[in-house]
Amino acid sequence: MTYRDDIRFILNGREVSARDVGASRTLLDFLRLERRLTGTKEGCAEGDCGACTVLVGRLTEAGLIYAPVNACIRFLASVDGCHVVTVEHVSGPEGALHPVQQAMIDFHGSQCGFCTPGFVMSLYALWMQTPEPTEAQVETALQGNLCRCTGYAPIIRAAVAVSRYGTPAADHLTAEREAMTARLRALRDGRRVVTGPDDNLAILPADVDDLAQCLVETPGATIVAGATDVGLWVTKFLRPIGPAIFTGHLEALKTVAREADHLLIGAGASYTDCQSLLSQHLPHLAPYWDRIAGWQVRNMGTVGGNIANGSPIGDTPPVLIALGAEITLRHGSERRTLPLERFFLDYGKQDRAAGEFVESIRIPLPGASDRNAAYKISKRRDEDISTVAAGLSVTVERGRITRARLAFGGMAATPKRAAQAEAALIGQPWAHATFEAAAEALAEDFSPLSDWRGSAGYRMLSAQNLLRRFFLEQDADTTAPAQLATA
Amino acid sequence: MTKTFRMDEAQPRLLDETGQGIVGAPLDRPEGPKKVSGRAAYAADGLPENAAHGVLVRATIAQGRVTKIDESSVSDVSGLLGVFHGPKMTRNPAQGMAGEAPVQPGDEVHYHGQPIALVVAESFEAARDAAQRLAVSYDADTDVITDPSRSETHEQDDPETAGDFEAAFAASEVTLDRTYTTPPHAAAAMEPHAAVAEWEGDAVTLRGALQMLRFNKKELADSLGIDPDKVRILSPYIGGGFGSKLGIGPEAVAAALAARELGRPVRVVMTRQTVFDSVLRRTETSQRLRLGADKDGTLRALSHDDRVSNIRDEGFAEPVSQASQFLYGAEGLSFTQTLARICRTPAGSVRAPGEAVGMLALEQAMDELAEELGMCPVELRLKNLPDKNPMTDQPFSATRLADCLREGAEQFGWGERKPMGERREGDWYVGMGMASAARSNMLIKSAARVRLTGDGAVVETDMTDIGTGSYAILGQITAEMLGLPIAQVEVRLGDTSFPGASGSGGSFGASSAGSATFLAAKAIRETLAERMGCSLSELTLQNGIARGGNREVPLSQLVDGELVEEASVESGSTADSHFSAGFGAHFAEVAVHAYTGEVRVRRMLGVMAMGRILNEKTARSQALGGMIWGIGSALTEKLTHDPRTGHLATRDLANYHVPAHADVPGDLKVVFLEERDDMANPIQTKGIGELGISGAGAAILNAVRNACGARVYDMPATPDRVITAMDAAGF
Ligand SMILES: Cc1cc2nc3c(=O)[nH]c(=O)nc-3n(C[C@@H](O)[C@@H](O)[C@H](O)COP(=O)(O)OP(=O)(O)OC[C@H]3O[C@@H](n4cnc5c(N)ncnc54)[C@H](O)[C@@H]3O)c2cc1C
Ligand code: FES
Ligand code: FES
Repeated sequence: MTYRDDIRFILNGREVSARDVGASRTLLDFLRLERRLTGTKEGCAEGDCGACTVLVGRLTEAGLIYAPVNACIRFLASVDGCHVVTVEHVSGPEGALHPVQQAMIDFHGSQCGFCTPGFVMSLYALWMQTPEPTEAQVETALQGNLCRCTGYAPIIRAAVAVSRYGTPAADHLTAEREAMTARLRALRDGRRVVTGPDDNLAILPADVDDLAQCLVETPGATIVAGATDVGLWVTKFLRPIGPAIFTGHLEALKTVAREADHLLIGAGASYTDCQSLLSQHLPHLAPYWDRIAGWQVRNMGTVGGNIANGSPIGDTPPVLIALGAEITLRHGSERRTLPLERFFLDYGKQDRAAGEFVESIRIPLPGASDRNAAYKISKRRDEDISTVAAGLSVTVERGRITRARLAFGGMAATPKRAAQAEAALIGQPWAHATFEAAAEALAEDFSPLSDWRGSAGYRMLSAQNLLRRFFLEQDADTTAPAQLATA
Repeated sequence: MTKTFRMDEAQPRLLDETGQGIVGAPLDRPEGPKKVSGRAAYAADGLPENAAHGVLVRATIAQGRVTKIDESSVSDVSGLLGVFHGPKMTRNPAQGMAGEAPVQPGDEVHYHGQPIALVVAESFEAARDAAQRLAVSYDADTDVITDPSRSETHEQDDPETAGDFEAAFAASEVTLDRTYTTPPHAAAAMEPHAAVAEWEGDAVTLRGALQMLRFNKKELADSLGIDPDKVRILSPYIGGGFGSKLGIGPEAVAAALAARELGRPVRVVMTRQTVFDSVLRRTETSQRLRLGADKDGTLRALSHDDRVSNIRDEGFAEPVSQASQFLYGAEGLSFTQTLARICRTPAGSVRAPGEAVGMLALEQAMDELAEELGMCPVELRLKNLPDKNPMTDQPFSATRLADCLREGAEQFGWGERKPMGERREGDWYVGMGMASAARSNMLIKSAARVRLTGDGAVVETDMTDIGTGSYAILGQITAEMLGLPIAQVEVRLGDTSFPGASGSGGSFGASSAGSATFLAAKAIRETLAERMGCSLSELTLQNGIARGGNREVPLSQLVDGELVEEASVESGSTADSHFSAGFGAHFAEVAVHAYTGEVRVRRMLGVMAMGRILNEKTARSQALGGMIWGIGSALTEKLTHDPRTGHLATRDLANYHVPAHADVPGDLKVVFLEERDDMANPIQTKGIGELGISGAGAAILNAVRNACGARVYDMPATPDRVITAMDAAGF
């Protein structure tokens, strides 16, 4: 079967066929420099500010879904088969302002205006999903948009009021949904796509088996899932990434499901894709999940990528390790499964052979006597990398701790379990003194680094205090929190 | 003929009498629809036909000399058009209102990240690739001083004094001696700096992201060695400035130089990292505050000594104690500044230079003094408000600070404040804090032109709108003065071919450009009165109709063709006879997590009196925006330099923490008190853009102290510091 050599998608109203699309070419540069759609702004080129927010609509099992994403770190090749919507497409045919735009004006949500198109796009997506959002929902939706002028309050007020200006039913994306679905479906031809110059080749496998095949053929290729790490390699570190194998379009890699006593998360599932299943079965992860990056990044970034990236400050490994998660790696048709903590060998080094990829993550469901928590400490509450992250999971039977899995991020060169602290808990009564002892023991487990996110001393103290907090929060007898050590 | 008006005496409050009802009204900004639909074109959005792309190459040493730039190292990059360097390249942006070229260091390197060359290519990718690979050799100096505390070149001014500080301090019943430090800050406007330069013959047009075009034009001309008449700058929309775009920047000069060489337009857009490295930062400060008071709370001695830094050859030194010199009175006052010369990104003005960091220290020291005295912090301030500037003896032109303090305390529920550490909600300690706000006010020479036709009016000035609302307020002033509905006034800004205004900076833009616009419109009123055959005081203009001398004539009949007036304003003797400043009071409530030291701001209130409000909506936005800068400077913002190399470690928005949504309380409120400043300018306004930040951070930090005992002397109060300070306080 021949490969396709162009990237096909729908940009606003029109179908685009782009040839010779190098792996590292970003959607934002394509929009701004090539298409001269300059309404979408570049404020940072690394996913932090949201000025570049556009909507990407993709066909899923549940139909056509639009999600706001950062065009600056989204690769052009990855929008194959999608509908890309920019701010230019938001206003009505005669330039009539959209309800979101009108509300932003009326509530004075725009001052210098540079962040505004990005906010408009995030709010547009929110309004389509949740026309009458609460303030808390607005805040979660706007975590990935920074504004240096307004103080945010006017934007939040605008967002809460949008539904008074119009309902999604009257919106043109809604009206055209069926037609767009048909158009996108027509773009699918089930072929592998290979495009771009030889030194910057972009490969889009036809399906998951083809992904395995592509990796066998090109074992040194860069795997690109949501590109929320890889995008920065290009825009910030100026590293070449070709040849690159893209996985974001593979719906089969995104499945999330409950199976008997565990959850199965496809490696390609984004943070957003997993959100509702996790909230349902592992409610302690819900607020934690909302503090990973911002909405745009959560719509792109995958759990598989977070794990595969192997960063010591990735947020998912500590909490997944604590729950006893396992990952399945695949090479060709061979699969192997290992406990997640064994995947992380050393700083920047994971147990992944050339040509192998992470296929899925299996998370056992907690038993009735398990107590779980997930904590993140960062300098800025939202949109920030963890100084310390912790996943804590213990089993308490008849007042005694029979099992303990304590995993921390930001405390060592890899996400790591606290063996000494676990030992201090196991077999001991569920009591304040036990956790004090575990906090002491934690000092044996880690010797963290000092950097601008926090000193070694602060990291250790907060990690210890998280153990204390865990006890207090989980302890039915504690009504008023006790006074704890602070240094 | 341009009429120049000097502000020598108080002027009639004409805007209170005109009666169109537009000045002060909370109107939407007229350019809003363009901004929400992505149609407002910022500098980087321009890409003329045939434009080439430039990327700045920056030094990787902190001090020394470039010995060789090896162009052959990139000769294989396809589409490469040239590598530009040489004596005309500039080191950093000009300081605000410089009006001349910034330092042109030739082959010398003065800081890590300094632009040293521009690589130009057919595509942005090729230019970036070549910029990254260009081989540069250096002769690097050893033992480079990048840390201000190690600097051996200190410049110290003689103390500014009034009375005898030492004697008054010695005689005080209660004294306080504290040192606070603040880290370097970045403006971090959301729009990165960008320039597109295009030549036609010997004249250049620059589309740039700049705040002060009248000055920028001269700066660019001087940098290029050409006549200012050969320079046109266009900056119709600017994505935030906050001081970072006051002066012409290296991107603009380099783009113009390359475009001239290549004979085609060149576009240079700074990456976010370059913006952090090569645009002026706010200096770090070390501030020693000494306060002496009697037991009844009367301040007797106040001294505020600071150390700031800058790179060599920059005249700017952050005026840290600016507000301390006029906010409170005392028998003995003394202020000394030390400037350390170091090799770091040069320092310049960032929103509210002086007050933004100086008041963090002063207003925390006042809080500490109140605590020592066992006095309410609001009372302590009320007790020490002077009726004239204590350093200069000038009377204040208008101050309602006492009203702001009282009104704020009342509205905030200050009476509910508990003693330190006594309010606990679950894991959180909760506390309240307050601070005064002050920011000196200025009038800067400005001109504007107003054209009136039968259909409406047009305002033209090179004034900029960096998000502040210039488009809105200049239109409102004109509509008010000429009795027109707002829709009939068009405002054209950001083009140096229009009359030169103050530009946006130092909170003086609205007052200065607004006064010029007012005066031009007033001159038109005079002509209209003549045409009506009535005296000026008899003339009323409303909804396009002129009335006077028992006649009623539509403007369309009165104006045949066009009436054009240009006016210019400058400060005069009222600037000497009176002292003008905006005043206010900030209140904050915070929660501090008992086990992690995280601080959450729960609510904030700012009560401010800042002269006549020209647009209630844009003014409020400015004040709110300023207040969240207070959150940033108190809790999150900090540039971190590698002490060995002077390299900036926190050079992106992931690591330089501007407040995000969750850092900002939903309950953020601003209240304006009615005021007119007759001595400030002909429209009785004061600056608005910077008062919101001045003092706001201190209110938060004072609330942290009240909540949990933590007093953090080294800002920002990040969780690690808060938790250590809680421990020190026995919590
Ligand atoms: C603004 C911003 C904020 C962020 N905030 C946070 C945060 O708060 N917490 C946090 O933990 N992270 C944060 N991140 C990083 C986080 O988004 C990523 O770690 C993300 O989870 C990676 O997933 P991805 O799909 O984007 O991976 P990609 O960037 O596509 O890939 C990441 C790495 O994984 C490899 N890879 C991807 N999929 C596979 C696979 N199936 N098999 C093998 N290798 C694979 C890639 O080759 C690459 O090495 C942030 C990122 C940004 C841009
Ligand atoms: S440009 Fe800042 S997030 Fe994309
Ligand atoms: S309006 Fe200026 S950054 Fe948001």
